[in-house]
Amino acid sequence: MEASLNLKLLEMCSKCGACFSICPSCVNIPGYDPREVIKDILDGSHEKWINSKHIWECLECHYCLEMCYQHYGFENAMTAMRTIAAKRGVHPTQVKRGWEMFVKTSRLGEPAIPARKKLGLPEAKGSGAEEFKKLYALLKESREKGRGHGGKTE
Amino acid sequence: MLTQIGRPVCGFFGNGWKPRPLFKGAGALSYVSTQRMFGRIQGILELMREFAVFWGCTIQTRFPFIEKSTRIVLEAFKLPYRDVDGFTCCPEKSLVNNVDHGMFTLTAARNVALVDELDCDLVSPCTGCVSNLATVESELNANPKEKDHVNSFLKQVGREFKGKAKLSHLVPFFHDTVGLHAIKRMMKKDFSGMKIALHYGCHMIRPSHALKNDDPLIPKKFDNIIRAMGAESLEFPTKLMCCGQGLDRIDQHEMALHFARIKLRELKAIGADALVLCCPSCFLQFDNNQFLMEKEGEKYGIPVIYFTELLGLSMGYSPDELGMTAHRVDCMPFVKKWESLGEKASRDEDLSEGLNVTGAEGLG
Repeated sequence: MEASLNLKLLEMCSKCGACFSICPSCVNIPGYDPREVIKDILDGSHEKWINSKHIWECLECHYCLEMCYQHYGFENAMTAMRTIAAKRGVHPTQVKRGWEMFVKTSRLGEPAIPARKKLGLPEAKGSGAEEFKKLYALLKESREKGRGHGGKTE
Repeated sequence: MLTQIGRPVCGFFGNGWKPRPLFKGAGALSYVSTQRMFGRIQGILELMREFAVFWGCTIQTRFPFIEKSTRIVLEAFKLPYRDVDGFTCCPEKSLVNNVDHGMFTLTAARNVALVDELDCDLVSPCTGCVSNLATVESELNANPKEKDHVNSFLKQVGREFKGKAKLSHLVPFFHDTVGLHAIKRMMKKDFSGMKIALHYGCHMIRPSHALKNDDPLIPKKFDNIIRAMGAESLEFPTKLMCCGQGLDRIDQHEMALHFARIKLRELKAIGADALVLCCPSCFLQFDNNQFLMEKEGEKYGIPVIYFTELLGLSMGYSPDELGMTAHRVDCMPFVKKWESLGEKASRDEDLSEGLNVTGAEGLG
């Protein structure tokens, strides 16, 4: 698998489902059911979910995590699926756009200068984008090296 | 000495007199000790550790008026806050963590390292920012190997993640560090008679292993503050339901509206005067998306008020000063109703008037 999951915990998870009725997406989005995804992961047939919009419908509210007696929850399974989808480039357009903006500027938007002036707010502080870019380059470089040596650089 | 709310065990008031509980243990305090405590509040605030404010991208990009009301409140309370040069995006979990977990961790660790270097704490008016930063901080503090790995990168840009900074969201910070007494003392007029629906925002309290600030399934602190401010904090089935704004970030706008609708319908049915929250993402969902529905003829008319704005109003600042005129859904129905209630004197004033009239003490 291209993402890591604790299958032992997931096995227990598939037998429980206590968080289903508290999950806002399970209750309100037709067709959203992480129990199906987890069953398929354990069967090794999760491929069909990678292109599905449903794996993005987990709102990461962490309700399931808090309910879970293993402190694991649906969200770990959904995050793993999304990580694979993103690696393959089949993630939603807005996520792509958000990521691009993030790596380019280190932020998801620049302070609104005219509105700040109108409100009498002080000048916004700088973002540290240069240092951030350097870190990103270092991380990528280390991953390249790691790949060469077969090491782990996450 | 400290007891459950409203259940004083102290023996001084064994004659059946029940003090109005203001906060945990308040019921057990005598008049004299309460006065002493008022005197101490200023001292506590002076001793408070300095903290950096983490504004986050959404507030500074889309809602600078939230920054305005937050600054007004922080200044008025004389809290030792500072702005920090060099913060990046926290980073936002759904957009960054799903794409690159390594970069998610490294970016958050760098932001915490900036605070560590200044030897201060961090407070944010954004739930997402605190939750993401605290998640990474607790992950690295629990995993020394991972922490060393992250620091091997940070060292190359002259930084070090120590993971010592206390990271708080503004609401639990006001509850725990500023305190309900100080809030009450700063208020010029309370919200008695107003019905407020609270929306905590998932990431103010979850994940609890990282934030450690309230019960993640039955939170109380925001309610305590609202009640201390005199308002009724409404109970309703979807109170803790996620706002659903995340759906707007994955190209599912209609579904995001569906989520907004569920809560707004309920609030209209129970007659809420306003929805009060303290998260820019939830604010976007309920203010902006409610406005979009309104434009299509689906009107709910629920003003969405930021915690700092509510606090600012009670301290005597005008909606205009607080930047509330920049909301898309009109806040004035809430403000007008509240102002109309103000024409009646509050209960406390009635009481002191009664005690000050000639003969009140039996001296004629």
